[in-house]
Amino acid sequence: MTTLLKAILAAVVGLTMGLWATRAMLADGGPFSSVTIGAWRVATKAGAIDADPYTRASLARSGEVPLALGEGLQLVARADDAGRPLDPRCVYRVGPHAPTARYWTLGVVDPKGFPIENPAGRYVLRSSEILRRAGGEFSIYVSGMAHAGNWLPVGAPGRFALVLRLYDSPLSATVGGIEKAAAPEISRESCV
Amino acid sequence: MNPRAALTEAAFYFAAALIVGALAHFAIVLSIPLVATHDAYDRLSAIAPVDSTLLVPRAGPRERLLAYADPAVATALCFFDLKNGPVRVRAPLGRAAFASLSFHSRRGAVFYALTDRAATHGMMEALIATPKQLRALIAQDDEDNPSEDLRIASPTPRGFVLARIFSELPSLYAEAEAEAKSLSCAPESPAK
Repeated sequence: MTTLLKAILAAVVGLTMGLWATRAMLADGGPFSSVTIGAWRVATKAGAIDADPYTRASLARSGEVPLALGEGLQLVARADDAGRPLDPRCVYRVGPHAPTARYWTLGVVDPKGFPIENPAGRYVLRSSEILRRAGGEFSIYVSGMAHAGNWLPVGAPGRFALVLRLYDSPLSATVGGIEKAAAPEISRESCV
Repeated sequence: MNPRAALTEAAFYFAAALIVGALAHFAIVLSIPLVATHDAYDRLSAIAPVDSTLLVPRAGPRERLLAYADPAVATALCFFDLKNGPVRVRAPLGRAAFASLSFHSRRGAVFYALTDRAATHGMMEALIATPKQLRALIAQDDEDNPSEDLRIASPTPRGFVLARIFSELPSLYAEAEAEAKSLSCAPESPAK
């Protein structure tokens, strides 16, 4: 093999690796300035003027308008507390607490961040509309089949994600600002 | 070629491939926000002219305009262009339980946000200006009668303001939408 061929091969292999790494790193909001709380992930700089280049590139690709830091925070979960990807054939219980915020909503979205068609036409549950136990604790059931209590339907046969949006939350999104105990647990109850 | 020389050569090409890959990776990450044609700004500016207020369709399975938008939140926006002077943003508050404004530059970065806690006389209000216009405003200020305007410097002459109005219950969404629609962006008339 001539030197030229080897150089071209090295360049092609290098470019492929670079593209693949870029794609992988931007898939979930970028590797930097994001923190994990239990099963949830927060892109802490998404709504900040000093967002890092990875966060910016990720937002430009997804086409979302992130909540600004002063408005609130968005937490996204793609797996349950045990790390298993969310499965539409299972029933998940989310609760019993949510981080301090004036209001929050819990929604089901597809992998690209859009609500999923379901017969109930319900895509989100608000903190102000759910049923709570005496101490303010709650359980939200996320499942494809109708469930008693607070039911958030999953319409899709494929993968889905849970989005928890906190409005007017005093939490600063810096590392350590959010305690693990404050985020709701996502526990898998049963699967069909 | 002896085995040792072959190994050295292979290591050299591997290192070259890694460098090419790393360069490609950084170049792509940094250029995505500049060349992305489907970021939030492009998606929205395709349907809204400057200075007019646009009600963003409610997030749903068929409304795939902005990813990760909350179906419980009514959203309106207006684009601003500071080339003819500062732009005044007004959002009168109704009965909504939570309302906020976020200010976005041409590249989508949030440069300011305020919530209904910062409202005065039932109105969220701000004056957007370029840094140069801002200096001119400050120079004109009457020291005995200081301006009460909330002045915000925009990093780019163009951008957009987004109003988010939370609906406490599903039945209150229409009301939140009406409140979102009352957002206005208007060029400030030249100083007297």
